[in-house]
Amino acid sequence: MELLALFISAILINNFVLYYFLGICPFLGVSKKLDSALSMGLAVTFVMTITAVMSWMINTWILIPYNIGYLQTVSFILVIASLVQLVEMFIRKMSPPLYQALGIYLPLITTNCAIMGLALLAARKDYGFFEAVVFGIGSGIGFTLAIVLMAGIREQLDLADVPEPLKGAGIALIVAGIMALAFTGFSGMIKL
Amino acid sequence: MEAKTLSSEYVKGLWDENPVFRQLLGLCPTLAVTNAVINGIAMGLATTFVLLLSSLVVSLIKKVIPNQVRIASYIVIIASFVTVADLFLQAFFYPISKALGPYVPLIVVNCVILGRQEAFSSKNSVGRSMIDALGMSTGFVLALLLLSSVREILGAGTFLGIQVLGSWFKPWIIMLLPAGAFIAFGILLGLALLIEGKTKKRRA
Amino acid sequence: MSLSARMILVLTCVGLISGGFLAGVGLWTKDKIAFNIQQEIEQAIKTVVPGTAVSEKLHEERAFTVYAGKTEDGTLIGYAVYASGTGFQDTITLMFGTDIELQKLTRLTILKQTETPGLGANIERDDLFLKFWEDRNIQADLTLHKPAASSPTELTSTEINTITGATISSEAVLNIVNLSLEKLKEKIETGQLEGR
Repeated sequence: MELLALFISAILINNFVLYYFLGICPFLGVSKKLDSALSMGLAVTFVMTITAVMSWMINTWILIPYNIGYLQTVSFILVIASLVQLVEMFIRKMSPPLYQALGIYLPLITTNCAIMGLALLAARKDYGFFEAVVFGIGSGIGFTLAIVLMAGIREQLDLADVPEPLKGAGIALIVAGIMALAFTGFSGMIKL
Repeated sequence: MEAKTLSSEYVKGLWDENPVFRQLLGLCPTLAVTNAVINGIAMGLATTFVLLLSSLVVSLIKKVIPNQVRIASYIVIIASFVTVADLFLQAFFYPISKALGPYVPLIVVNCVILGRQEAFSSKNSVGRSMIDALGMSTGFVLALLLLSSVREILGAGTFLGIQVLGSWFKPWIIMLLPAGAFIAFGILLGLALLIEGKTKKRRA
Repeated sequence: MSLSARMILVLTCVGLISGGFLAGVGLWTKDKIAFNIQQEIEQAIKTVVPGTAVSEKLHEERAFTVYAGKTEDGTLIGYAVYASGTGFQDTITLMFGTDIELQKLTRLTILKQTETPGLGANIERDDLFLKFWEDRNIQADLTLHKPAASSPTELTSTEINTITGATISSEAVLNIVNLSLEKLKEKIETGQLEGR
């Protein structure tokens, strides 16, 4: 029950993009087309889930027992960077069609603050193993939801008459603001 | 490239290549911590610290690092300085560190920093890299200061916690919410492009 | 030297130097950081159990930690409970104090919250919320007084105030406190807390 609450709150209430402001770069950069946005979302969800597991293991089995919390940032970023490389190689070997779909987005994910943010937030919130996994999947789905909605709106926006200086990122940000406002409607949905 | 004067390396970071408004880099911290001016300044200074020292180290050892492992080395160097900034804030500015939360360690994925190493410090002399880093940091701090001032003044009627708007002013709470960050930044970005367009016309 | 050897050498050196450097900085700041966290907790204990000179951690579990507030000579004068739970937006972390008989709640303080500014965030404000928590009777569960009262005299001794426009945040705080009180009572009745 608590896991379900965590899952829903990671998707809707504390949405990574619209509440934590994590993953803004791909959110603005890869949200021009619906299908590429969906692929990006799936790639992020995939990497996030694995990151949640890996960072939990590193934090619980290495950083905390040896009392070296100050190496958290360094070790997380290194794990994420190498993880993305591994995932890329693995997918290329195992499933060429999946690689075709996600391939080009994977390298972009290394510098995606959403992944690092996930590792840091899960560590800060003292999540247990299953909570960390659920948080990872939920956050990934939340990211996908936000970026896909955004792409859908932006495809329509192309046809709209937007003032010249606001074209592109400006209007995208304002739309994101309205989306964030709509998402605050979900706050308070989860009770203790 | 060498013909460029040192002052132009500095000035470009303020407007022409401003990391936030022109390059749209480092947006996560820009949006996340600008709900109060003090947080914006603290984040700006922490980022400045990391960018300056990373640029210094990278430009010093650029010849030693083989090309294939350069990104990995940069990341380790940046992450180390980020940790220093994080620990320093926790130790000496605990309330600010609490307010900024995970966004201090997240400086490590601020694209401005890695971007400058890759695009500038790895190719230029120490002095030039430092000037470039200083210019970019100033641009970043100014952007954070601008956005956080707008948000704090409109959202709470205060600046650095001091009441600046009279009691007649009903604070726009939306400015302090995530939605306000997106909208305020979107409008400022539009204004920046508008000004840029006007000055370009004048120059032509 | 071959390229791969150089790559490994450089990466190892970078890693070792930064590791050693961070270990140094970590060591230098460790005590100071621990002191900051400790101080924040102690300050909160002194607020919620007035008269506390020394405190002692009695019990710790997830989202529920019990401290004993004691006078200079070691007499127990109350319990301080550090608890957290889900609020309107994200986790709310708070601390409240009780007397040793568990008859009344002395005070409440909010340590961390990210509720809506101007509405839910008012749970931090003394005049709207916190002062209504002083000296509550906790022999039964506390309940919410709606609509918002302007003075504590309008409430019965088991009621707490609602913030206008932020019922869910007020309720969230109430739930965290009621839940933690139940746990505290159980722990004390079954003698699980030392230091009595």
